[in-house]
Amino acid sequence: MRQAAAALFGAGFTVAACYAAGSLLIDQLRATLRQDERIPLAFVLGAACLHLAIFAILGLHIAYWPVLAAVLALTIIAAIVTGAWRGAHTASGKPVAPLSRNLRMVFGWCAGIFAVVYLVNAWAPEVSPDGASYHLGLVARALRVHGSEPLTNDMYAMLSQGVEMLFVPAFAIGRHSAAALVHFAFSVALALAMLAYGRRIGKPWAGAAGALLTFASPVVGADASAAYVDVATAAIVFGVFYWTEVWDDSEQRRLSLLIPVGLLAGYAYAAKYTAFPIAIYALGFVAWRCRRLRPITRSLRPVLLVAGCALIMAGPWIARNWIWYQNPVAPFANSIFRNPYIHVMFERDYSESLRNYGMPSLWPLALEATIRGAYIQGIIGPAFLLLPVALAALRFRAGRRLLLVGALMVSTYFANIGARFLIPSLPFFSLAIGLAFGEAATLLAALMLIHAAASWPPVLNRYVNPNCWRLVRFPYQAALRLTPPDDFLRKNSQGYAAAQMIDAKVSGDEPVFSMDGIPDSYTRHQILLYYESASNETLADTINMGWNPAAQPILSRVFSFPERKARRMRVVQTAQGFYPHQWNVYELRFFYRGTELARKLDWRLQAWPNPWEVQLAFDNSLATRWRSGETAAPGMYLDVDFGREEPVDEVRLVVSGDSELTRLQLESASFTETWEKIADNPTVIPHDVPPGIRRMATYELHARGIHYLMVGDKSNGSDDFAEDPEAWGLKLIGHTAGERLYQTIW
Amino acid sequence: MVWRIVAGMKRRLGLVCAPMLMASACRNMPGPFAPPVQRQQLEDFRPYRMSAIIDMADEDAKTHFVQDLTSNATATWRWTGQRPTLRVRMRSAENLRYTIDFVVAGAMLAKTGPLTVSFLLNDQVLDRVRYDHDGVQHFEKAVPAGWVTVGEDVTVGASVDKPWIPPEGGPQLGIILLRIGLTQ
Repeated sequence: MRQAAAALFGAGFTVAACYAAGSLLIDQLRATLRQDERIPLAFVLGAACLHLAIFAILGLHIAYWPVLAAVLALTIIAAIVTGAWRGAHTASGKPVAPLSRNLRMVFGWCAGIFAVVYLVNAWAPEVSPDGASYHLGLVARALRVHGSEPLTNDMYAMLSQGVEMLFVPAFAIGRHSAAALVHFAFSVALALAMLAYGRRIGKPWAGAAGALLTFASPVVGADASAAYVDVATAAIVFGVFYWTEVWDDSEQRRLSLLIPVGLLAGYAYAAKYTAFPIAIYALGFVAWRCRRLRPITRSLRPVLLVAGCALIMAGPWIARNWIWYQNPVAPFANSIFRNPYIHVMFERDYSESLRNYGMPSLWPLALEATIRGAYIQGIIGPAFLLLPVALAALRFRAGRRLLLVGALMVSTYFANIGARFLIPSLPFFSLAIGLAFGEAATLLAALMLIHAAASWPPVLNRYVNPNCWRLVRFPYQAALRLTPPDDFLRKNSQGYAAAQMIDAKVSGDEPVFSMDGIPDSYTRHQILLYYESASNETLADTINMGWNPAAQPILSRVFSFPERKARRMRVVQTAQGFYPHQWNVYELRFFYRGTELARKLDWRLQAWPNPWEVQLAFDNSLATRWRSGETAAPGMYLDVDFGREEPVDEVRLVVSGDSELTRLQLESASFTETWEKIADNPTVIPHDVPPGIRRMATYELHARGIHYLMVGDKSNGSDDFAEDPEAWGLKLIGHTAGERLYQTIW
Repeated sequence: MVWRIVAGMKRRLGLVCAPMLMASACRNMPGPFAPPVQRQQLEDFRPYRMSAIIDMADEDAKTHFVQDLTSNATATWRWTGQRPTLRVRMRSAENLRYTIDFVVAGAMLAKTGPLTVSFLLNDQVLDRVRYDHDGVQHFEKAVPAGWVTVGEDVTVGASVDKPWIPPEGGPQLGIILLRIGLTQ
C-alpha cells in the first residue's frame, strides 16, 4: 500500500506543480479564462514551464529528490500565496451557458467510467513496452546519475524528452506508476480542454462529443494509462490551438497571449518531434491574422514573439543534440548531419519499417486503424470511420480551423503509421465530427454512447485483432499493491524477469549487450540493445557473423599489378548498389612480393562514408568489418596514407558473399596527391570461414568492456548460442522463460 | 559549388534551400585514424559442437516433456515414471551422441533389485545397461546414422524394467533424471 500511496503522491505532486506553474504564468499574463478552461490550460502550460526547470536541474546534475521536491513545493506555494492557484485575477472569461443536464449525464458517465479504468491501469505497475523500457529507462538512469549525460549508444536518448522531464520528479517519488499517472493527467486535461472549447464556441454538445471520441478511443486509453507521451503531446498541441483561439478572441489581440502559444508550440516539439506542424500552424495563423497591420514591424512582432517563445522550449533540445550528438534533430537526418552515432542505413531501415509496420499494403489502413489493429499496434475506434462526415464542419469557422490543424497534425503520420501517432490529430478530427452534427443533441448523445460501447474493453475484444494493443485488464489489486508488484510484473511484463535476472547475476554496474528488448527501467544496468546506435549495430553485426553465413567473410578480392611505389592507396567503389546493399570490407591488406606490409602506427586511414569505423577494416580481425552504413554508391572509398613511399604489388580485400554487387577500382597517389587508377576487376578468391569465428566475435564484445550478452530465445541465431556456448567463449549464467544470459569467459 | 546550385534555382526557392544545402555541405569528417591494435589469431577456441541437452534445472525444461516425468522434483532433478520421454530438435544429424545423467535411488534398488535401463531414441532402443548399485550414473553413446532427421522433433528417453512404488504410495517411479539429450 505504501508504494501505491507513493505513486499517487508522486503523480499528484507533479501535476499540482504543473498546474501551479501554469497558473502563475497565466496570472502574470492577466489572461482571463473561465474556470473550466483555465484548469486544463494552466496544467499544460505549467508542464511546459516545469519541463524546462527539470531540464536545467538535470543539466546541473543536481537531480536529487529533495531538490526536485523543493522545486515542486515552491511552485505550488507561490501559486497559492499569490492567489494564482484559484485564478483570483484571471478566472473571469466570457460567460457561457451551463452544460445541460443530459449532456452532463451522458458525457459524465461515459468519460467517468473510462477515466476510472485508465486510472487503475496507470496506477498498476508499469508493463507497457516503451514505457518500461526507454521512456522510464532514461528517467531512471538520469536519477541514478543525478543528471543528464550524452548516451551515444541509445537512439531513444537522442529524442527530445519534454514529457519525460515531468516523469523525473514523479518517478523520484513514486516510481513507474507515478509517471504513468502524470501521463493519465494529461488525458484528463485534454478532455476537459476539448469540453471547454466546445462551450467557448457555443457548441457544448459538439465539444462533449469530440472530447469523448478522443478520450474513449482505445489507443488513447492504452497510451494514457502508460508512461508514454502521445496523449500528453496531443494535449500540448491542443493547448497551442486553444491559446491561438484565446488570443484571436481577445480584445485587440493582446500580444502577451501569444506567449503561451509560442511556449506550447516549442514544447510540442520538445514532447515529440512529429508534433512540429503545430508550430507551423501557430506561426501561420498569427501571421495571417496580423497581415494587415502596419507598419510591417507591427505584423512581424507577434510572429517573432511566437517563434522566440517556441525557441525557448525547443531550443535546449536542439542545442543539446547538436552539442552531444552532432545532429540537432538526432536520431534523424543523419545523411545531412553526419555523425558517428547513427548509421544512415539504420535510419532508412527504421523509417521503412515505421512506414508500413509489416502491412502488405496500405490500402486497408483505414480499417486497420479503426477496427483491426493487427499491425499498427492499436485502433482509434470505429467511430472515426465517420471522419468524412467531418467535412460538414467546414460550414463553421471553427470547423475549418479544426480540420486545418487536424490535417497538419496528420501530415507526419505516414512517416510512422503506428496507431498512437494519430493521437495528436484526434482532438481536432473528433471536434470536427462533433461540429458536423451541429448541436443535434440526440445524434451526438447516440454517437457518444455507441463510441463508448465500441471502445469498452470487453466489447473491443470481440472485433479487434488479438495483437491489437489495448487495455485488457482492470488491475485494481495490482494498483493498490494488494498483488505484489513483482508477481504482477512477472506475469504481465515481457522481459521483466530478464531484467531482474540481470540485476541478480551481473555484478557492479556492468553493461549488458542484448539481442532482445529489455525493460531498462527495471534494471540498474545499462542495456545496450543491438540496434539502438551505430556502435551497437556494429557489435551486433560482429556477433551475427558467428552464426549467419550471409555475414561471414568468405571471399577475397585481389588486385595484382606490376610493382610500384605509392605513398597513398585507396580502393574506390564504382557501382550503384540498391537498397539495402552496403559495401563492406573485413580487412584491407597490402602485399609486396607475397609478404604483407606490416601496419605501422603512422599509417593514416580514411573512409567515405562512415569514416568513424574505418579501423574495423584494419584490425586484423575477420569478425569485424567496415561497412559503408548506406547503400553502396560510386565514389565510396577506403584510403590509406602510408606516410612514405612503399613498394606494393598486390592488394587484398576480404569481403562477404554478397559483394558481387560492388565494383572496385584501385588507385594510388604519390606526393602530388593526384589519384591514378592502377587496376580494376579484382580476382575473386573464395575461402573458408575462420573456424574460430564465433569466439572471435565474442572477443570483440570482451575487448570493448562488455562481458554479458542477453539473447532472446526467439532472437535470430539463438539456437547457435544455446547449443554450444563454450564455442562462443560464453557461459550460460541465467535463463528465464524467453531469455538467456551469457557471460564471456576470457 | 553550393552557390552554383542555388543560383540555378528561383530566388525564393534558393533562399529557402541555401541554408539546408550549406548544412549538408558541411561534411562532418573526422581526421584520419591510425591503425588500431591488431587482433591476434585465436588459439584456444574449439570447433562448434551442437548440443541439445535438457537439464532439469532449465526453466523451460517442461516445454520438452512428452511423457512420464512426475511432479516429484527439485530445482535440479526430477523423478521419472517407467518410460520418461522428452522432445528435442536438431539442426544437424552428423556425429550425434545420446547422453543422459541420472540417479539410481538406493531405496528403490533395495526393493526391486538390479535395474535394467533401456536408452531410447525415437522409441528405438539404442542400448541397455544393468545397474546394481545406486548413485549418479552417466551414459553416452553415438547415435547411428539415419536415426535423426534434421529439423524434425526427436524423442529421447529411457525405459526402466522394474518401476517402483514407494511405501508412502503415489505413481510408479523409474529414475531420478538430471539431464538428457543429444550432443555432437
